[in-house]
Formats: sequence, structure tokens, C-alpha cells
Amino acid sequence: MQDSDKALRDQVRQGWTGTGDAGSSFETTWQAAQECHAAGQRHYRRFAGAAAVAAAVVVALYAQPPAGESYIEVADLLESTYWTAPSDALLPDRQFDIYQDMPVIFESTEPAGGALL
Amino acid sequence: MRDSDALDNNPHISRAALEAIHSQVYGWALSRCDFDHATAEDLMQQAYVELLSGNARFDNKSTLSTFVFSVVQNLARSRFRRVSSRLRLVKKYHREAIVQSVETTEPPVDDGVWRAVRALPARQRDIIELVFCRELTIEQASAVMGVTKGTGRVHYDRAKKALRERLQHWAEEE
Repeated sequence: MQDSDKALRDQVRQGWTGTGDAGSSFETTWQAAQECHAAGQRHYRRFAGAAAVAAAVVVALYAQPPAGESYIEVADLLESTYWTAPSDALLPDRQFDIYQDMPVIFESTEPAGGALL
Repeated sequence: MRDSDALDNNPHISRAALEAIHSQVYGWALSRCDFDHATAEDLMQQAYVELLSGNARFDNKSTLSTFVFSVVQNLARSRFRRVSSRLRLVKKYHREAIVQSVETTEPPVDDGVWRAVRALPARQRDIIELVFCRELTIEQASAVMGVTKGTGRVHYDRAKKALRERLQHWAEEE
């Protein structure tokens, strides 16, 4: 450092003494910092614990093994519904029996032009 | 070698070493917050928490004081950013509130020289404080300020020039 710089530095330092670096106790600040650090760690542990529990719950809920395939019993299925044939519903009950009399089918015996009428 | 009172998360820092530089670092913290003692205490506490937790990890690449000075500087910067962004919000939505709530801190009594230092631009003021009052080299001071050595030297030279001019001007006036 040059002489002119040293003179300037000394001048600045002289003025600097008035700003006062003292006034802070290391012990007090250090203890406060340690408490703050410990509190931060406690909070972190609590948060990590809560997050782990939440993750475990989510895994338990959504990662269960798939349940076995379920089948519906045929009997239950048949009982659960009612089916009627359209003819039963549309035709009046026992009004006539289409199989009572055998229908007579007309047969032609007269030929016309080489074929039966 | 690990000191017996080395920090768990920062094995290269010992409690005794921090205690030895405490008042020096506290002075730096004070000048970071316009000499408000409560804010400076808060900054110091935050800096120690950073060291205890290992968020700011010292790896012996610089001196301990340079490193802790940088930690305080960075914390002060981020605090200033937070405060200024909140102030911008308040200013935007509730201009009157600022006038009522912001209290200015009384600066310490200045004599001529220190008044001249305080009148310098922030970077120049910082490097003058670090080199002249905290006895850091220009390289160390540049590291604390987060600038290259070349930039630090430029700030240093300009600061000295500006200081000399002001002091000479005041001397002529008297």
C-alpha cells in the first residue's frame, strides 16, 4: 500500500471508530442461533414424520393388491329380472290357440297350361 | 484436523474461531443495515444458523472471516430484496401506509471523513470499509462482495479517488 493510501486509510479509520462494532454478545447471539437451529430441526422432523405418515396412508389406500375377479351367479341374475315373450304380451290370453285346428292348405287339381293353378 | 468444538455440519469451523471474529462480523452486519442494531443482531443470528445447519458450508478455500462476511452480505441482500418487494407492494396498494409506518433509523454521528465514505456509491463504500476498516485484501473484499478481483480493484481505485477529491474539497472550503 502506498503512503498516500495509508494516509487515507488512517483518516477513514479515525472516522470509523465512531460507528461502534461492539454491542453484540457472541454468547447471546450464538445461543439464540442454536435454539433457532434446533427448532428448525424439530419442525423439519415433524414435517418429515407427517409426510411419511401421509405417504404411508396413500400407499395403503391406493396400492392394495387387486381384489379377485367377481362373478355373478346365473340364478341371481335370472331372479333379478323378468322377461316375457312379446307374443304373450301382445296376444289376448287364450283367445285362440293357433295349434287347435290344423290349417287346411288349398290344393289345386286343375292344370292350366301345363301347371297347376 | 477437526477441532473439538467444530460444528457438526461445518467441520472446518469452530465455535472459538467464530467468537474471535464475532465483533468484526457484527460491525459488517451493522453497516449492511444502516447501523440498526436489532437488524444486525438478527442478521448475525441468521448467519450462525446457516453455519450450524450447514447450508453455508466453509471448505477452507478462503479465510473464515471472508467466508462469514460473505454469508452476512448475502443474507443482507436477500433481506433487502424481500423488504423492497414488500415496500413496492405497499406503495402500489396503500401509499399512505408507508408514510405512517416507515421509521428512519438515526445514522451514527459522522465526522467529515466517514461522511465522505457514506456518500460514496454502495460498492465503493463497501470495498473501502472492507479494505480500510476490516483489513481485508482487495481480493478478499471482492469475494465478499461477489465481484471479480478486477472489478473490486476498479471500485477501490474509484473510491479512493472520490474520497480524496471530497476531502480536498472540504479542506479548501474550511
